[in-house]
Amino acid sequence: MTTFDGILPIVAEVLDGHREAMTELDWLLINRDLNGRVRLIVPETVEADPVMRDHVRVVAEQLAERLGCHAYPADRAILYEISREPACQDATCYPLDGFDRVWIVDRLATEGRWERIAPETEGARRIVFFSIKGGVGRSTALAATAWHLAQAGKRVLVLDLDLESPGLSSSLLPPERQPKYGITDWLVEDLVDNTDGMLDGLIAMSNLSHDGEIYVVPAHGADPGEYIAKLGRVWMPKVKSDGSREDWSARLQRLLTDLEQRLQPDVVLIDSRAGIDEVASTCVTDLGANLVLLFALEGDQTWNGYRLLFDYWRQTRVAEAMRERLQIVAALVPELERVAYLSGLREHAYGIFVYSLYDEIAPPSTEAIGPTPDGSQRWRVGELVEGWSFDEADTGAPHHPWVVYWHRSFAGLRSLQGRLAVIDRQEVNSIFGSLLDGVGTVLGLESIHD
Amino acid sequence: MHSMQADFLDAHERHWDDAEFLFLAQRWANADHLYGMATECGLKQLMLAFGMPYDMNKDRPSQKEDRQHATGVWTRFETYRDGHHLGAGYVLPNSNPFRDWDVSQRYAHRSGFDQARALSHQAGARQVRDLVRKAQREGLL
Repeated sequence: MTTFDGILPIVAEVLDGHREAMTELDWLLINRDLNGRVRLIVPETVEADPVMRDHVRVVAEQLAERLGCHAYPADRAILYEISREPACQDATCYPLDGFDRVWIVDRLATEGRWERIAPETEGARRIVFFSIKGGVGRSTALAATAWHLAQAGKRVLVLDLDLESPGLSSSLLPPERQPKYGITDWLVEDLVDNTDGMLDGLIAMSNLSHDGEIYVVPAHGADPGEYIAKLGRVWMPKVKSDGSREDWSARLQRLLTDLEQRLQPDVVLIDSRAGIDEVASTCVTDLGANLVLLFALEGDQTWNGYRLLFDYWRQTRVAEAMRERLQIVAALVPELERVAYLSGLREHAYGIFVYSLYDEIAPPSTEAIGPTPDGSQRWRVGELVEGWSFDEADTGAPHHPWVVYWHRSFAGLRSLQGRLAVIDRQEVNSIFGSLLDGVGTVLGLESIHD
Repeated sequence: MHSMQADFLDAHERHWDDAEFLFLAQRWANADHLYGMATECGLKQLMLAFGMPYDMNKDRPSQKEDRQHATGVWTRFETYRDGHHLGAGYVLPNSNPFRDWDVSQRYAHRSGFDQARALSHQAGARQVRDLVRKAQREGLL
């Protein structure tokens, strides 16, 4: 039985048997449709060339035979297109390893695209708080970060995009300050062009900080209303009268840009949904984040999850666009045996960064290293070895965790808002100091520990 | 007599190919007619994919309102598209390019057809053809 995971290896084997003929094609797409069934998409010129047409047909027949349910019968397995780009539209497209002009085209039923990486935004810094698992104190850390940055005089915009388990806003706002609307309201009204004048009703000011400002845009308003009915529609693409469409992440991007124009924040903190989820993919990859904080507990579930994600970035050839924005945060670090806990966490984080994201750097050849031949006793390295990689112990490396300590005063809190309202600087620093320092460095603030 | 089964996809493709062939030869009247037929067949194939009930015994759509030509089927398509979870990706413009097209025009004199008329119907048929191609790539067809 051939299952989905067998498709690419079998395709590569079959194509390898026709390598010579395949090099005559300008391009070849291995199209995996929504059901995971394979078709070949080839240039239209092939249809008019009997020799090439037969050859492609033979490939299709072999694929049909070997892939079984994951292929179409040969007479329905070939599609002709004028050019490659339109045929790849709305799909995930990446080269097939080992072939120059063969691409895998994946049609996904989800709008979320983990391999579509928007360039870093050039305006206010956008920092995304992401975790592979929920319940790791991500929202609390975000609230503390907002508090800290506002104390340092920054204008902070906070977005609650954990739409499926909203709650961040209640950490930052007492009930009487909750705004009228939330992000879900805006996204639903946008579908029917009804957002005029809505922006002010989305924004509330937190009372936590007296120096800077914290503007909060929650997932829902003071009255959530028909939240579930709205939530089921927020992912809708917007279709204009000419048939063109704007997917939901582009709509969200539009909202964020409007908010930034209105509020002129220095920094935007975004609370993402946890896990390999559609909303999360938008937060992490589509919003032009400058920094993505990856909250981690030391355990297999965390690392297996991040490994799946990193491997996908590597396979789809976008690792380079993403890796410099990532930073591991050790979440809820326990009181006992901290050193051993953190060194285990760092080791595991290093393991997956090395495997998927860091460049493999071969040592220079032995002939290239040694005393200079002119007898000057100087040492030389004759080859420049370049690449993006870090030592395991490098404290500036993205795998080297910024730390948030578990603290009894935040465990099982009924009201985070009440807790943060009475917190003092020293307490915040003792729990969140490493994270706040890290974020501060990115924003050009002085260290809180100096 | 051997009765032939409807194959909307193949019919869509052959009508489109022949319409293009005739268009190039400046045979505006029959090109225009076939753009309409290609549109009807393409949309019916997509409607089937979106769940249109079909009477296999009579080899035709079960509901009378689905048995229409290009003009009417353009509107019926919207009903099925709207009710399908993949429908958002298969939108046709609201303005129906086949409003001035009718199957009975096949009896009309050729002088009633010109390039402009054929061009507007070609554009409509091409939109349907693009959706059919997209449905093939996505595995809906």
